[in-house]
Amino acid sequence: MTSRDLLIIVAVGQSVTLAALLGAIGVNRWIRQRRRARVLPRRVVLDQAMNGWALGEIGPELVARALEDLPTADAVEALVGWAGRLRGERWQALAQALDQRPWTARLRAAVRARAWWRRLQAARFLSVAATPADAGLVARLLGDAQPAVHIAAGAALERIATPHLVRIVIGRMPEMAAPVQAHYASVLRTTHGVVVPLLVERLGQVYDPGLPRIVEFAGRFGDAGLREAVRALAGHSNQEVRVQVARALGDFPHTASIAALRTLTTDSAWEVRAQAVRALGRIADSVTLPDLVARLGDSVWWVRLRAALALTRLGAGGRDALLTAEIGSQPDARFVARLILGLTPQALTEFAA
Amino acid sequence: MSEVVRAVDASVIVYFVVLNSFYALLLVMALPEIWAQTRLAEDENLLRLQESGAPPPISILVPAYNEEATIEASITAILTLDYRHYEVIVVNDGSKDGTMDRLHEAFDLYEVPRIHPETLASRPIRALFRSRTRPRLVVIDKENGGKADSLNAAINASRWPLVIAVDADTLIEPDAMLRLTRPFVMGLKVAAVGGTVRVANGSVIRDGRVLEPRVPPRFLPGVQVVEYLRSFLYGRLGWNRLGGNLIISGAFGLFRKEFLLEIGGYRTDSIVEDFDVVVRLHRHLRDRRTPYVITFVPDPVAWTEVPESLAVLRRQRERWHRGLILTMWKYHGMLFRPRYGRIGSLGMPFFTFGEMLAPLVEVLGYVVTAAGLWLGVLDVPIAVLFFLVALSYGMILSIWGIVLEEVGFRRYRRWGDLGRLLLFAALENFGYRQLTVWYRLRAFWSAMRDRSGWGRMTRTGFAPAGGGTAS
Repeated sequence: MTSRDLLIIVAVGQSVTLAALLGAIGVNRWIRQRRRARVLPRRVVLDQAMNGWALGEIGPELVARALEDLPTADAVEALVGWAGRLRGERWQALAQALDQRPWTARLRAAVRARAWWRRLQAARFLSVAATPADAGLVARLLGDAQPAVHIAAGAALERIATPHLVRIVIGRMPEMAAPVQAHYASVLRTTHGVVVPLLVERLGQVYDPGLPRIVEFAGRFGDAGLREAVRALAGHSNQEVRVQVARALGDFPHTASIAALRTLTTDSAWEVRAQAVRALGRIADSVTLPDLVARLGDSVWWVRLRAALALTRLGAGGRDALLTAEIGSQPDARFVARLILGLTPQALTEFAA
Repeated sequence: MSEVVRAVDASVIVYFVVLNSFYALLLVMALPEIWAQTRLAEDENLLRLQESGAPPPISILVPAYNEEATIEASITAILTLDYRHYEVIVVNDGSKDGTMDRLHEAFDLYEVPRIHPETLASRPIRALFRSRTRPRLVVIDKENGGKADSLNAAINASRWPLVIAVDADTLIEPDAMLRLTRPFVMGLKVAAVGGTVRVANGSVIRDGRVLEPRVPPRFLPGVQVVEYLRSFLYGRLGWNRLGGNLIISGAFGLFRKEFLLEIGGYRTDSIVEDFDVVVRLHRHLRDRRTPYVITFVPDPVAWTEVPESLAVLRRQRERWHRGLILTMWKYHGMLFRPRYGRIGSLGMPFFTFGEMLAPLVEVLGYVVTAAGLWLGVLDVPIAVLFFLVALSYGMILSIWGIVLEEVGFRRYRRWGDLGRLLLFAALENFGYRQLTVWYRLRAFWSAMRDRSGWGRMTRTGFAPAGGGTAS
């Protein structure tokens, strides 16, 4: 074969590829238009059925049938969209009506699919239509390695939070990013009766390397039943645990929390002291005034700043303390007090956030 | 002489076969990536999580130098993004026009004391302002020190753990930040994330928002639409699968602040500070053996104005390539070093021997082919056929970018826009490509003379386009 032959073969191959790409663009547009034209009327029928069902005019069976007429991806998308608007027992009735349909059986089977996007579709479906019988499937999805899958499955906990499922979530908590933790804190809030005892049990495992994240989650969860378990960790040897305890106690305004936080304002680690004075600012109890004033002279700038900001939340007493510090003998306290007193209320609100 | 010409010609051919094979690999890698990314982008559970208060707070850093024409619209658009916790830090980098006055008028600024620690060095700050009408806004007025210097000053003043560098002439889509935080929300150990930058020229724009994306009818901006699609939709997506991106666009990139502080922020002596900072992040995190990803997410979109004149295009491309040369030279120690993983074994070699040297080799190919034809050692039909095959390959790569756009995002809905995209993809290889090769070649000369400086980018401002239909 000569080089000319080779080049001709390459050129022919390129021409075919070019034609295929152009054809793919045209066909893709055509298919999408056709699909839209086919799905749109069915979506309108579904929305009408959903509206009728929401008003109590028709039963969930008709909604289930309208869902069946849609392609699976569109049906799941519609369900997820409507789930945000309709909740409670009526939604459970729809979930029951969908339980024995062939397309939902296929979706449930996809929980074991190799492709993560198929598992994601299953998770999205179960996030809004799981029944107690699906607990095993949800448990499997909660342990999924693909974050999008377990995040989607996590929403199912609003409907079926069994101790086993909650235990799986708490077990994964140390590896979760803060936003995902916040998501779970929000979906589990309605089932605190199940969550609190399990969290208290986990908070008692003082040698657990994941403890800082568990304390962080406890703070986010904010249930009063967790306060004592969190407070008990204020003297923990791990600095990161104490930082999280100081931060979390700001969400539990109570004399016991205040006592622990006052101790933490003198912690050896400045990160703990900064979080402790910040938490005291959030609780805003005038009994902590001397502790906050003392921190105006802290060796670390961030602690002084946080203490000054916390004092602004203590009303006239805090302001007087700052004014005194502004003309006091400690240069560091004088500087930070002048700085904070010079801020406008708006800027102060933003900095204190 | 003929033997030399033949040998050089063969070397050039081998070079381009290897380089184009790598482009083909990137292209293949982009396919599963765009499939995965579009599925994640459509995941409503993830979107709901992102829309909740859960995503981390962000500081948006906006360096501005002589941006009087666009500053108000850009900042207003940034201040109305769909994101719960964020602040906007605009840095007036000693502008000589009325940028600062415009900011004062538009946002009713008042001076506040500086309470942030100045961890990174920057040129002296004249004053710090907040807005009476827009609580999220902070404005730093400082002496001129360049974009990197402005970003360092903004990082010092920022409060949140994530910072996003945005050009003042960039229009960010309302949901772009939500989408950009997806890797963080998914719990990945992210050091930086880049979004897609698209060409705003010709689109219908109102109040700092792109209402209807259009492909500009003029050749120069139009052909850059194709270039941007190619670069972002298969180049960077492909790199996601091949070990991480080396480029996060300076016009739209999100960084973890703690890592930026660890590497000392942006380098003021680099003319491509966005590229430089990403290379240093890779080096630093690999040296420290910190697990991380530097990734690209295609669905968050920012729109930017591209050069409409050859003079501005020349300055821009020369600067980009000069920056590439200087950066590759500065960090050549990372080349083929096993400790830098795929960045050292794939990314750096590709950018050094592929991207950086490509214009030299391409021009060498043109010269040698011409010499070969003149000396009669090359067959004319074969030379012409080879030239056409090479151009056709470039066309396929560009059209592949358009295919990915059509399959994944479909921003350009009109058939007319699609037709223009295809036309520009075809025409790009006749003249425009050679022109940019020339500009990049000039960059070698200026890099050797180490001429720094940004060159001027004349902004026309985002006037309502498309015949003013939306104004």
